[in-house]
Amino acid sequence: MKRSIPGPMFLILATCAALLLIGAAKVGDTAPNFTATASNGKIVHLSDYSGKYVVLEWHNKGCPYVGKQYNSGNMQRLQKQWTARGVVWLTIISSAPGKQGYVTAGEENAYLAKMQAAPTAALLDPTGEIGHLYDAKTSPHMIVINAQGTVIYNGAIDDKPTTDLGDVPGATNYVSLALEQSLAGKQVATPATRPYGCSVKYSDSSH
Amino acid sequence: MRRCDTASVFPARFTIAFALLLCAPAAPAIAAPIPHGTLELFAENSWVTPGHDFSLGLHFQLEKGWHIYWINPGDSGEPPRVTWQLPNGLTAAPIQWPVPRRLGTSSIVDFGYQDAVMLLVPMHADASLATKTPAQIAGEVKLLVCRELCVPGKAQLSLTLPVNPEAPVPEARTRDLFAATRKSLPRPAPARWSFRVDDTKDSFELIASGGSHIASAAFFPLAESQIDNSAPQKVVPRAAGFRLTLRKSDQLLKPIQHLNGVLVLSADRAYVIDAPVGEHAAAGASASGVGSH
Repeated sequence: MKRSIPGPMFLILATCAALLLIGAAKVGDTAPNFTATASNGKIVHLSDYSGKYVVLEWHNKGCPYVGKQYNSGNMQRLQKQWTARGVVWLTIISSAPGKQGYVTAGEENAYLAKMQAAPTAALLDPTGEIGHLYDAKTSPHMIVINAQGTVIYNGAIDDKPTTDLGDVPGATNYVSLALEQSLAGKQVATPATRPYGCSVKYSDSSH
Repeated sequence: MRRCDTASVFPARFTIAFALLLCAPAAPAIAAPIPHGTLELFAENSWVTPGHDFSLGLHFQLEKGWHIYWINPGDSGEPPRVTWQLPNGLTAAPIQWPVPRRLGTSSIVDFGYQDAVMLLVPMHADASLATKTPAQIAGEVKLLVCRELCVPGKAQLSLTLPVNPEAPVPEARTRDLFAATRKSLPRPAPARWSFRVDDTKDSFELIASGGSHIASAAFFPLAESQIDNSAPQKVVPRAAGFRLTLRKSDQLLKPIQHLNGVLVLSADRAYVIDAPVGEHAAAGASASGVGSH
């Protein structure tokens, strides 16, 4: 219930966090709430998922590190595997208009269908507000939030920081490890790593 | 400030070296294409002498605005990686990396090289290396080249060098390029300098003692996820040295014992340092390891 912050208060907090670039998504911190429009047209608040595990996946379809995960089918497999277990999976696109990876809702829906991707929702963040709130650096930067709303993992998708599809099968997936360990009531052994990939293509004017 | 210094000094050196290269007749090495540039493998000497170490150079030339990455790429990207195929008796040591530049925006900062750079590869030639056949050197390089976008690439490099018992002779064609590259490598700090780090809640305070009137400094961490790459690095001059505030990375959850990296004071003063970290580090604790010897 920690995430049920009143709307106006949330806006002020979120704005401050974004402006100050404080480590809002540091492991152990309460995940900051946000509101976004999904590619399916729905309005999504992080607080809607209070009581559930949530995975945030920063996405840019033109980035070769993202391509490695989607062309190998790995990201879609993870989305299906974890949403089947009640985990909420939010794909977030923080590319600004005109930048690599920027998509309209229609383009994103076509991409999701073509790739057979299965996130709970794909969130459009063209202003970079959510990206900056979480200080997302790369695609794919991954964050895992537990049922209490606490960040339990912040970093890379796995331990192979390359664009080679061949590196996917042998990789240790940090997101799955964090979810498995936390759901089993254990401490997350590797709660933070360098989030490798392409830089998030934020608007030039925001920060 | 630092960005301008490096931009004005290093490319100038390289430009001269390139001009010399272009004038050289019958270049034996062929530049391999990489995304938005070329990559060439050079040997420092005209032949390999058994028992004498030498260097190879991986010479990257990139289209305007494109970059490759340092050993610690910073917030995004990845450094070039080489897999060597070498004859028995030849071994390659880890790459020696020239001083990088800060690249990126105010919220995402990478460490790398624009325009052109040569990475040095120290080679060991055994005294037992056979002199009858030339040494066939081959390497596969995997790399990422980025500007606004990133393009992964791969290049197959090869070089055939005679093996000759005579004393090694520098290859005239690339002598200036190797000399310029050596100047662009960070050096051990002079013995009069010492470094230590105070660990505060949100930052590392790098305390440098030794020089005077130091008004600008930039630190490039060798390890990932220790400092916040995009945070401004605040320099406060001290009577004999300076204090540099380095904000901690959000990804850093455990204390560290050492802060290793490259400290750039000006275009021609870049030092490899290994500074001990302590909550109340003893005054006068000296730099240790690679930085001071």
